[in-house]
Amino acid sequence: MNLIFRFLIIIVPILILVFFTKVLLIDEDNKLINFESKIFPEFEMRDLNGNQVSAQSLSGIKILNVWASWCITCLVEHPFLSQLSEKNIEIVGLNYKDTDSKAIAWLQKHGNPYIFSIYDPRGDLAFDLGVTGAPETFLIFDNEIIAHVQGEINQQKWESIFLPLINNNQDQS
Amino acid sequence: MIGEIAHFLSLSAAVLLILILIFNVFFSFNKIHSNQLTLSLRLFNQACFLVFVSFGMYIYLAISDDFSIVYIASHSNSQLPVFYKVTSIWSAHEGSMFLWIVFLTGWSILFLNSLNKNHPLKRLTLLMLSLIILGFMLFLLITSNPFERILPFGVIEGADINPILQDPALAIHPPMLYLGYVGFVIAFSYITAYLFNGDFELQWEQDIKNWSFVAWIFLTIGITLGSWWAYYELGWGGYWFWDPVENVALMPWLASTAFMHSLFASSKSNVLKAWTMFLGILIFSLSLFGAFIVRSGIIDSVHSFANDPERGLYLLGFSGFISLLAMGIFAYRIPSLNSSKLVVIGSKESFLSMNNILMITSIFSIFLGVTYPLIIESISGDKVSIGPPYYNTIFAPIILIASIFIMISVDAAWQRSMSLRNISLTAAIPSVFSLIITYVVWYATGIFSILAYIGIFSGLLILTSYFVRVINNLFNNRFINKGSAIAHIGLGLLFFVVSMNSILSYEKNLNISLDQTVAVDESVTAFSFDDIKVIKASNHDIISAEVSIRQDGKNVLLNPQKRKYITRGQITSESAIQATILKDTYLTIGDQLENGSWTFSLKINYFIKWIWISSALMVLGMLITIFKQKTS
Repeated sequence: MNLIFRFLIIIVPILILVFFTKVLLIDEDNKLINFESKIFPEFEMRDLNGNQVSAQSLSGIKILNVWASWCITCLVEHPFLSQLSEKNIEIVGLNYKDTDSKAIAWLQKHGNPYIFSIYDPRGDLAFDLGVTGAPETFLIFDNEIIAHVQGEINQQKWESIFLPLINNNQDQS
Repeated sequence: MIGEIAHFLSLSAAVLLILILIFNVFFSFNKIHSNQLTLSLRLFNQACFLVFVSFGMYIYLAISDDFSIVYIASHSNSQLPVFYKVTSIWSAHEGSMFLWIVFLTGWSILFLNSLNKNHPLKRLTLLMLSLIILGFMLFLLITSNPFERILPFGVIEGADINPILQDPALAIHPPMLYLGYVGFVIAFSYITAYLFNGDFELQWEQDIKNWSFVAWIFLTIGITLGSWWAYYELGWGGYWFWDPVENVALMPWLASTAFMHSLFASSKSNVLKAWTMFLGILIFSLSLFGAFIVRSGIIDSVHSFANDPERGLYLLGFSGFISLLAMGIFAYRIPSLNSSKLVVIGSKESFLSMNNILMITSIFSIFLGVTYPLIIESISGDKVSIGPPYYNTIFAPIILIASIFIMISVDAAWQRSMSLRNISLTAAIPSVFSLIITYVVWYATGIFSILAYIGIFSGLLILTSYFVRVINNLFNNRFINKGSAIAHIGLGLLFFVVSMNSILSYEKNLNISLDQTVAVDESVTAFSFDDIKVIKASNHDIISAEVSIRQDGKNVLLNPQKRKYITRGQITSESAIQATILKDTYLTIGDQLENGSWTFSLKINYFIKWIWISSALMVLGMLITIFKQKTS
């Protein structure tokens, strides 16, 4: 009786430990596999410079970054986006619930990593995309959203989530 | 600069702890030198002191709006009142971990310095505590550094604390809860030290008794405040959601409650020693498990912090190591721990140990409820959720049996068996009374729910049996343990009011235009939507509705609001609550529909106040118990 009890006291915690390690390690990969890609919603809007933009402007591999001049974390991730744009990665901005004058001033002050920024003062397009706040980043491949990161995008998230998908899709096409 | 100094001090504390460990492990192979303990304790005190100073500087950084620090920039804001600037420190992962460590060192330093100079367990306890603090320090500094700077330049303005966290109840809920969680580190380390030491003649119960009682009080207050906050602030109209994170707080609470009961038995009559130790180890292991669940992001919940597998793995590894170390030495020592005496069937301690088994069963059931969705997901990939129906069905029978044991044990004596005749005498009055009252409730409400009536009956069993006891005390001068009586009356009241709440409360969803009046039911005879306006506040816009209702013949004005926070774009709901002794009228405003009308959710919640009162009674009972021991 004692022996069984002693054995259980050791073995049960070990089993719990092994189980959770397994869940933790699987978790991240699963999230990528389970992400259901969806078609980018149709829209007709203007960018910050006043040019007409639509869903057709999003062909090829594009990164869509939701930002705003009032958003602090956007400033935190801004240097990383600049790095990406220097590597000729095309990033489209979605200026979210902001005023155009402030947004343009913000870009002039901190640099503009975006090929263009869709101006979305009421958050209409953001709503269709299921944006919960700024910043958020989407990976778009030929008008199809294949990944979505909420919060700051950084080197680590880029390498673990976006880069494998980009390489994958480039191989296929 | 101050940030760097604070960072450096924390690092130094970690280094000191490493020194203590190396030094003691290295020298324990030789003969233990007499000054070794004095030196270790001095180093330990200094390490703790460094942690406190470092945290003090961090508070200063938060108050002085140093937004070059990433954590402060993302969770505080220059517009915030000073109080919330400070509490913003524990509004997210890094800072709250820091607070956790501060409490850990605080408890440890108090406990170690309160022990006798040459206490035989002092050195081992010190080592165990150093190991635990060091593990968390390294976790903080390596995976979640709160001192990290935004380089090369900081930002001018912070991102604001999450508005739903800007609430006094929530500002003190995490510290209370952490004080509770962490407080059990003392029982844990002391018991582990005792087991490693291997001298089983030593008396250990008295040394940790009050420390654990105080930790239990903090834990109870922390859980209650969380529940209170959820009710008033979240706008969901409920007080307990069986959310995974609530569950991981409830598990250590149940374990610690069992631990205290068993501590009484083992200090009164020298039985259940192994049980008590096991529970003492289990509480802190469950606290560690809770920290892991909340901070690994493994489960989605209102409470969880950002998902980070690296943190999860570290915490899992570390908690696993600490818990296994303790469980391992416990398993190894079991043969020498068996109490010389056996528990007499029918004695107080026999009922007590039955309830311990029930509490372990509850812990196991909750654990299963928390992990089952993960197990299913990892096997089949399906997402399932375990909700209130599971917990209600599991808990109803457990509560019933536990209440019966509590009722009988009121009259049971330590170490002596109770005759069947006495048991039936004790049980007769409460059972009959409870049955009658339960039937009256059924008759009056006309609502039937087997689980709720089990809860009501169980609550009444406890309440009536203690009332009989109180009356006996007042008129026949029979002995009554005041602390225990008050705490158990609190528990009985909790069972009763929670069950009553579940059968009586109801919710109506209304869809109503401005200046319209509708009748809701017999109680709320008129509901009129008088006005709606938009108010601009410093950091948020408010949509405020004015609603007047006629309820039970009285006119009540309600002002439910919706707030939109500009910085975060977050929308929160401020419910309007009209509270009376018996019931709360809880009104939340929803969205505007296309035809211009608004949706409202009107909830009538019964006995909410009594839930807080019952947990206050439990805390009061505990306080009296602690106090009485000190004076006697």
